[in-house]
Amino acid sequence: MGEIRDFKSGRSQPDNPQPPGNSIPRRLAAIVAGDIAGYSRLMQLDEEGTHTRVKRTVRDLIEPTIGEHHGKLVKTTGDGFIAMFDSPVEAVRCSIVIQQNMIGRNAAIARDHWIEYRIGVNLGDVIIEPDDIYGDGVNVASRLEGIAAPGDVFISGGIYEQIKHKMVCGYESLGDKKVKNITDPVRVYRVLPDAAAYQRTRRRRESILLTLLGLAITIIAGGVLWYLLAQPRSKPADVAQAPPSPAASPAVPQPAPSPAPAPGQAASLVPSAAPTQQASPQAAPSASPAVSMPQPEMVSLQGGSFSMGSNDDPSERPIRKVTVKPFAMGKYPVSVREWNACAAAKACGFTASGKDDAPVTNASWSDAKQYVTWLAEQTKKAYRLPSEAEWEYAARGGTQSKYWWGDQVQPGHAGCKDCGGDAAAEQPVKVGSFKPNPFGLYDMGGGVDQWVEDCWHRNYQGAPADGAVWSGGDCASHVIRSGSWKNDARYVRPANRDNYDTNVRYPTHGFRVALSP
Amino acid sequence: MKSAGLIMLAAAVALLASPAVAQNKPAGKDTKLYFIWPHDRTTLRSPFTCRFGLRNMGVTHAGDDYPNSGHHHLLIDVSEPLNPNEPIPSDKTHLHFGAGQTETQLDLAPGKHTLQLVLGDAKHYPFNPPVVSEKITIRVR
Repeated sequence: MGEIRDFKSGRSQPDNPQPPGNSIPRRLAAIVAGDIAGYSRLMQLDEEGTHTRVKRTVRDLIEPTIGEHHGKLVKTTGDGFIAMFDSPVEAVRCSIVIQQNMIGRNAAIARDHWIEYRIGVNLGDVIIEPDDIYGDGVNVASRLEGIAAPGDVFISGGIYEQIKHKMVCGYESLGDKKVKNITDPVRVYRVLPDAAAYQRTRRRRESILLTLLGLAITIIAGGVLWYLLAQPRSKPADVAQAPPSPAASPAVPQPAPSPAPAPGQAASLVPSAAPTQQASPQAAPSASPAVSMPQPEMVSLQGGSFSMGSNDDPSERPIRKVTVKPFAMGKYPVSVREWNACAAAKACGFTASGKDDAPVTNASWSDAKQYVTWLAEQTKKAYRLPSEAEWEYAARGGTQSKYWWGDQVQPGHAGCKDCGGDAAAEQPVKVGSFKPNPFGLYDMGGGVDQWVEDCWHRNYQGAPADGAVWSGGDCASHVIRSGSWKNDARYVRPANRDNYDTNVRYPTHGFRVALSP
Repeated sequence: MKSAGLIMLAAAVALLASPAVAQNKPAGKDTKLYFIWPHDRTTLRSPFTCRFGLRNMGVTHAGDDYPNSGHHHLLIDVSEPLNPNEPIPSDKTHLHFGAGQTETQLDLAPGKHTLQLVLGDAKHYPFNPPVVSEKITIRVR
């Protein structure tokens, strides 16, 4: 600790190769200062062990992380380090990554052996020497680090101003603080790392470091996952994909960083559990006499590759090849009758009015999730919402035209405002009133808007190609497909996509279910 | 006032339309729905933040039936008149803010666009008389 604090006054460098005649090189930089809380105590406890662990941490975590964020490790001391970054955003990101990783590294060891860094970040004009940096800016960074709690990142006002709109992070203002030997008080913020930032770094660093991170938790989660897989098979996907309760705080755009496998992987576990041949025979849920409840009629789809998206709207670009695994899709949107069975069981939020054969409407995404969760539990089958890719694959029915029946609007194929439907009607017409598409699916376009599992992304930049649910994105809203009887023909296109608030009901919104084989 | 004219127009439409008017929730007194940003005839670059202002009424979640409150709808380049007897449409030109949002990030193609706000009740119906903002015109560079 002491060493860091002293670097300004301490070491003059007589063998400095820098020509002294020139003006001293200065530059603006984001400085990260970190040190280990309670280093002396750790050394007392286990001198060699601590030393080895600290060295390993620096080699495996600190150095590579700084490199990945385009920073430069200026120096390390026994218990700390100083790094320099061109970008304040990268500096703070790097600090968060280090702190998050340390949590994982500490998870496996006893509390009093924990190595915990305190980190301070400051923006300042510094003097650069070949193997050290000097200046007020550095001192403030190490003072910030000094007042930070173990595991925390404290940033100065200057850094905060630079990053506040660029990083999805919480910042807690701690007000102006007087720090030792610095005349002016420094505005201090505590960084509250968000789940999203953490996820990003996880993806970037698929290393053993991170295997350590969740080892204990992964075993537990794996156990739970296994248990759920052994039970109703839809559950794991649901659990992994989104918070199952429709809690109304959509502020955090991502589910908690659970170390369980990504949703896509969870979903892909399911097909491998059952032989693919089982997908071929028509799933006839009505044949199962065990449950006397209206179940959606399903159509098994072989899966395959198709071109997803179109150039008709910016949200549908870029067009890309997507391969969908075998699954079954509801032949019709979920009907009022089917929905009300769930409502009668008090598992769904409201009783739908309207004709029994009409599609259920006024359902929010969370409502739809409640229904599929209930259905899966009742039937012990892997019912779920389709992914966006699965929906488009099913809606295209093997075609690549603008509509599944061709490039021109034709009456009798879909229920929409200018397809010959009655847009003024308060309810959509009953399910299956129009021609089925080549896959034998009805109302894939027009009729009711249909929720899918995916959170909203404004276009397909970075979307997965394996047909899985695209995790992340803006989960305060989810993707709706199909267009409704109140929309015009543009919305009936299989490539059309839109979004709506996750927890809000709207009179044209319904859904259909999918089933993993 | 342009907005007053619009309100009158919308009210006239409402009166002409059939008895369903009765179901629309009454609007508050002296309400004003307006754009905090952008202003009318602003030229700006996309994407930009659009902020909604509302006076003398409250913003709440869609579905919440508190008196004298509603949620925002943003109409982009919509020319057809609002039908007070139907829920405010939901499509790419009628954006809904049912979670009680009071601003949004807009990414519009370069050119001239019109923006207008409409307040909707718990069931997305306009109020009676409709609470609408002035229709502003902006140019995106």
